[in-house]
Amino acid sequence: MSAVLKPKSKFIVCDGNEAAAWAVAAARVELVAVYPITPQSSLVEYLAKFVADGRLAADLIDAEGEHSVLSVLQGACLAGARTYTASCGPGLAFMFEPYVRTPGLRLPIVMGIVTRDLLTPQSVWGGHQDAMSVREAGWIQVYCESVQEVLDTTIMAYKIAEHREVMLPVNVCHDGNYLSFGAARAELPDQAEVDAFLGEKNVNWHAALDPQRPMAVDPLTGGAGGTGPSTFVRYRKGECSAMQNALSVITDVHEEWGRRFGRTHAPLVESYRMDGAEYAIITIGSMTGAAKDAVDAARQRGENAGLVKVKTYRPFPVRAVVDALAGVRALGVVDRSVSFGWDCGPLFQDVIGALHYAPRRIPAMSFIGGLAGADITIGHFDHVIRRTAELAEGPGAAPGETVWLNEKD
Amino acid sequence: MGAFETISFRPEHCDGCNDCMIACARAKEQSDDVLHSRIQIVPAEGGFELAMCRQCGDPECVHNCPAAALSKDGESGVIDWDASKCVNCLLCTLGCTYGGIVYDAPAARVIKCDLCDGHPACVKACTHGALKFLTTARIYNEVGNLEDLFVPGLAGCQGCNTELIMRHAMRRIGPDAVVATPPGCIPGMGSVGYNGLTGTKVPVFHPLLTNTASMLTGVRRYYKRIGRNVKAVALAGDGGTADVGFQSLSGAAERGEEMLFICVDNEGYMNTGMQRSGCTPYGAWTSTTPVGERGRGKTQDAKNLPLLMVMHHCAYVATASTAFMEDLYDKLDRAIAASEHGFAYLHIYSPCTTGWRFPSDQNIEVARKAVQTNFVLLWEFDPQGGLRLTHPVDDPFPLAEYVKELGKYRHLSEEQIAHIEASVARNVSFVQGLAAGRPPTAAAA
Repeated sequence: MSAVLKPKSKFIVCDGNEAAAWAVAAARVELVAVYPITPQSSLVEYLAKFVADGRLAADLIDAEGEHSVLSVLQGACLAGARTYTASCGPGLAFMFEPYVRTPGLRLPIVMGIVTRDLLTPQSVWGGHQDAMSVREAGWIQVYCESVQEVLDTTIMAYKIAEHREVMLPVNVCHDGNYLSFGAARAELPDQAEVDAFLGEKNVNWHAALDPQRPMAVDPLTGGAGGTGPSTFVRYRKGECSAMQNALSVITDVHEEWGRRFGRTHAPLVESYRMDGAEYAIITIGSMTGAAKDAVDAARQRGENAGLVKVKTYRPFPVRAVVDALAGVRALGVVDRSVSFGWDCGPLFQDVIGALHYAPRRIPAMSFIGGLAGADITIGHFDHVIRRTAELAEGPGAAPGETVWLNEKD
Repeated sequence: MGAFETISFRPEHCDGCNDCMIACARAKEQSDDVLHSRIQIVPAEGGFELAMCRQCGDPECVHNCPAAALSKDGESGVIDWDASKCVNCLLCTLGCTYGGIVYDAPAARVIKCDLCDGHPACVKACTHGALKFLTTARIYNEVGNLEDLFVPGLAGCQGCNTELIMRHAMRRIGPDAVVATPPGCIPGMGSVGYNGLTGTKVPVFHPLLTNTASMLTGVRRYYKRIGRNVKAVALAGDGGTADVGFQSLSGAAERGEEMLFICVDNEGYMNTGMQRSGCTPYGAWTSTTPVGERGRGKTQDAKNLPLLMVMHHCAYVATASTAFMEDLYDKLDRAIAASEHGFAYLHIYSPCTTGWRFPSDQNIEVARKAVQTNFVLLWEFDPQGGLRLTHPVDDPFPLAEYVKELGKYRHLSEEQIAHIEASVARNVSFVQGLAAGRPPTAAAA
């Protein structure tokens, strides 16, 4: 990351929740609906304070629950508003009904997920189980590694969501506890530059609730007979195509961000020390910092370890993952959530799914750590690297041969 | 058109004093001779009957007249008699079965009631409350020219009251609105549409069953932000309002969101096969409160949703019935006005011919009887004026008059009817108490 000081940008120290709120202000979001939930609460408190201070010129609606929060945004978006909210864990679960509907309505809503493990056991700590549980709902999901990346990505999310070839909602995920409350130095981009970057709002040109252009939004489709099945299929296929379009749009938007603001974030996957790597660990979210330190240490020991971080999780960047991993002999995927029934992590599933398109089979192993706020330390990643290195020499892991990193912590 | 004004007669209040007849004779012929009266109170078995012109919608007297001396006025509905055209053939008197147009021997011509230009002398003279001047259908003249904002041929059941409510409500609300119709009969009859065809001429959408008030919150807030006055309107069933949609409704009402939420209460999930809702009354058969060897219909009373909304300090709350259209339109007007500055809630009872099991031509009659028996109370509330009964029924018909009309109550035992009677009495007493507790400022106004 090379920080080039822009004329009116300034540096602040803030946590990830505050960074998201600054991004919402910078994106000139017009309508925000909120409901507090740990560890997202301070994010919506910042939003409320920013509105009260006149820093964020948005209408803020304190809804009576997450279900209504997203429903308010849907109505506002259909009327033409740029919108934002954030949630997590049980709140996201409660929101599920309008959540699954948002992509089908093709509403470019941006929602932060301050990731939290799902109940039960009762827990208020970080983990990816909430976001991962809705990975098939049709939202774009990107995971951030740092406070700065939360700020930058939340702004970029509007340009991605509102792109005419995309028109899908975006989740900007940042890890509860680690990023939500971990403070770091962050650069606030210049407002005029953000305005120029985002350009014209593009929210409801396709589906609108507007007496000046009356239309029926979301009439009944499907079933047998008439044009039912084909209409439904056309809409579903359109969502899938938009998801694929998003891969290049995300890439282009990140490149433009880098050009304008001098900070470059890898759009789909980031390859770290992959030159000459014999094996790789795959990470997602804030764990990546510790993982990079462990990879550095391994390299210093003369071990050819590398790292691939997945930023864009939905759409899953199949080609980018295959290209990044094509040269390795083994890989270990570290998840902060589980896939029930597969006895592995969901990211692991996606990675091995993508590697079906690799020219040869690559032995892979699933590691699960960081559940319910548990720390994945450099020591844990040393273990991951060692096990992955062994994998390269052996016959490969059997199904369900998953390593639980915090099992004895 | 087809509007009419008329005079209603309640024989149980009549003591045969003849004051009305004298008043009429004086007003029309400057005479105290009741033979000149256009209103005739005649002894009948156990009391009195009324013989006078009903200003019929399809008048036989007019059809019978060979001289075009009789005609029905399109505005008032009054049947006019033109002396200059009358040939005194008296065929009109043969057509009328009400004794409404008769030969006045001293005057040597027919006479009939002309409603005294809307101020009938007989009604003014009656001190017993037996006569009432009704202008019930005048409203149709006022709204008849407003555009129906739904297409013809919505796929409602035959005789559907809900369709009537939708059409009337939107006619008054007008085209500068966004309409939310959560799952239920209203979108079920095609208002949002099927496969590319819509039944509504204004922006309309399916919210979820759960989030109508929240989605409308977003719509209205954004339009307000950009300086456009777009009405946010919900046309929702009782299930989506009282049950699974109640949280969002309550939240929006508590926040004072500017919208008009119309709950069309047909006392259950009628669109999906007549399942029980929180608004289904005690004893009612539904498909999930069936009647059998052990089941005797619903075992709990309905929740009183409009009163719950009163407790949210809404800008306006009212109950209404399609049997009392002027009352309904008055409330629509006030609700629309209130929705410009706060949350307005209108609860309109909608007897369901399919789900309640009664003949489709009895819909308005069932709605009327619900009010006449006090099963349904018509009132309105606003924070300044408090709660006011708009059609108090002091002398209600027996509840049995209402329940006997409805197949869903066919199984009721005497104990169950007694339960409903007790619930109705409790509700009447409760609402009357609220009405009596109106703040003094409202009483002064």
